[in-house]
Amino acid sequence: MNRRFFISFSTYTFIGASNLLYSNNIIFNKFQFRKDIYNIIESVQKHFFPQDSQLPFASEFSSIEFLVSTIYHKRFDKDIRNFVISGAKDFISQENGQFINYNREDKEIALRKFENSSRGSKWLSRIMILSMEALLSDPIYGGNFRKSGWIALDTKGGNPKPKSRYINL
Amino acid sequence: MKDIIYDVAIIGSGASGGAVAYQLCKAGYKVVILEKGQLIQRDEFSKDELAYCRRDIVTPNLFDEFHTIEEKIDGKWIETPTYQSGWSFWNGNIVGGSSNFMSGMFHRMHPDDFRLKTIYGKIDGANVEDWVINYNDLEPYYRLAEDLVGISGYSKKHKYEAPRSRLKFFQPPTEENNIVNLFDKCCNKLNITPLVTARAVLSKNIGKRDACYYSNFCGSYGCSSGAKGSSREAFISPALATGNLTLLSNSHVTHLDSSEKIIKQANIINNITNQKLKIYAKFFVVASQAHESVRLLLNSANKFHPNGLSNSSGELGKNLIFSAGGAGGGTFYKDDMSKIDFNNLMDRGLFINRSILDWYIKDDWWKPKEKGGLVEFMFEHQNNISRAVNSRYKDNRLLWGEELAKKLKDKFTKTKTLRFEIFNDWLPTDDCFISIDKKRKDKYGMPVGKLRINAHPKDLEIAYNISKKVKIILKEMGAKDIYSSISAVPPQNLIAGGCRFGDNPKTSVIDKNCKSHDIKNLFIADASFMPTGGSTPYSWTIYANALRVGEEVVKVLQKKL
Repeated sequence: MNRRFFISFSTYTFIGASNLLYSNNIIFNKFQFRKDIYNIIESVQKHFFPQDSQLPFASEFSSIEFLVSTIYHKRFDKDIRNFVISGAKDFISQENGQFINYNREDKEIALRKFENSSRGSKWLSRIMILSMEALLSDPIYGGNFRKSGWIALDTKGGNPKPKSRYINL
Repeated sequence: MKDIIYDVAIIGSGASGGAVAYQLCKAGYKVVILEKGQLIQRDEFSKDELAYCRRDIVTPNLFDEFHTIEEKIDGKWIETPTYQSGWSFWNGNIVGGSSNFMSGMFHRMHPDDFRLKTIYGKIDGANVEDWVINYNDLEPYYRLAEDLVGISGYSKKHKYEAPRSRLKFFQPPTEENNIVNLFDKCCNKLNITPLVTARAVLSKNIGKRDACYYSNFCGSYGCSSGAKGSSREAFISPALATGNLTLLSNSHVTHLDSSEKIIKQANIINNITNQKLKIYAKFFVVASQAHESVRLLLNSANKFHPNGLSNSSGELGKNLIFSAGGAGGGTFYKDDMSKIDFNNLMDRGLFINRSILDWYIKDDWWKPKEKGGLVEFMFEHQNNISRAVNSRYKDNRLLWGEELAKKLKDKFTKTKTLRFEIFNDWLPTDDCFISIDKKRKDKYGMPVGKLRINAHPKDLEIAYNISKKVKIILKEMGAKDIYSSISAVPPQNLIAGGCRFGDNPKTSVIDKNCKSHDIKNLFIADASFMPTGGSTPYSWTIYANALRVGEEVVKVLQKKL
């Protein structure tokens, strides 16, 4: 029952090299989200929800923007937020920062390799969950653009729709 | 505020707190409700899956307020704070409590449930005791709750249906999905009696509450028409209309100050402003849900009551029980339908409203009578995100790309899953209780509640046997991928026990009217009074008993004033 044990448990060991890898990256956007982390998560989401699928393309439902604003919301679990970021660092390190430049086949290989570790598997699952939240939550949260997620799955949200995010807390 | 002395201060505004407040306010007494959560009005409720079902918007942040759960793992009791596990034991901490979010399947307890020990005998390893009231004592309040909460249904005679003083329900049943025709037909073929489930949802407008509009998103959501019989709709709103109720939301009671025989005041902290207040009243009613009521009483220990308030018996916190049993389901595939038009299954929002009582009691002539349980049927919850999230794997491998798209498309457009839930007695045992965790405190500096959780083996055996019978119905209906899940993991929303009622102050916490044996002006109105819980969801019984307790408090006030 100890979910956080699994979140924090790492099968990877990263040392100074990874810090060097990140040192040239700039701090990205108001959430202090580093650009390399942003880019790799966005790239993973685009692989999960590609352009030629029956589901909307990740960019069409603003999956990365949703993810960033969601994990920095005060109601979001801070351990999971940290895990999303640290897992991204692990994945960057595994692929020496090159994942975003791979073609689709190489991305597939890299992701399945990452999935083979307990931590990698859990991180990919978390990115998928956050992406699905973007795809299928009420459009007021910034994802599910023009209800494209609901339309693709021939489903609907319930009524009444929210008038504000998180009940305006 | 300091100068006001209310007739009654009620801690908690959920099913029990609201019902007590209603009775008192209608009788003309000045009441204050202290509710730790915020007030969300009917027209503010939306079907926002992200907010209500995937974030702790209506429950405390687990890093601020949590419980410690003790489970037996490999023969050892292991403690895990819920901020580590994410397994929240908070339930709808807003005005009206978790009743705002119920799906409203309502059942009365059977008369046998009040005399479990006498009728069914002692069970090794279980602390079963008879209730000190019987079904006939509670029946008028079941009926009163039916009218006030607004319970819709259809009564059909069944040997295990609790007797009703009025056969006809307050309102006819809510509209039903066509699958019930197939369900009924299959049950009849199998010689099983399908019954219409009573539901705390209005099928017709009444007063200021509108009928159900079949939103397709009922359980886990607040109701924006007022159809759902939450404490907020059924009791708090009319109590406020009397002008006798003061509702203090965002007011968390940290402890109660008492002398040897009297509670003097409730200490509260406003969880928005952090302002501390003292609330004075002639009587106090604790109704914070079983585990939190016990925690408050234990945390209120003082020199007169070193082991907690109302705990001279040492029974406070013991014999925690849950409304549980098991669950399962089966799936109908569009491409493999022969018994019903698949499009019928996809009608949005209509209820199933079916339950089975045939296995509530095992009464075979060749062996002693045994308790069984009831089964409820419902469609898989229609939450879009959760349905997608639950479909993200295949053979332990995360799906993405076209594979994922196909699976989700099929899931959403070509399948419909019929679920069932089994309710059977959670037998009270020495290994299921509430205490306080002396090592861990919440953000207010108060020790958190510690729940040791364990189920009696008999509970699992009964649920397993019933699940086998339910699967036969699903198979007859043509469902595929039929499964069941029977385990000792309890649901967090229907918790009872911990403040047993009884005639003997040495073996119980409160008397038959739910008044403390030790403290003259303390009543405990939530489900913590229950020595056993029957093989039903507790909701109707909680409402009924709280209406009874409210009436008792009125009687005491009438004598006193």
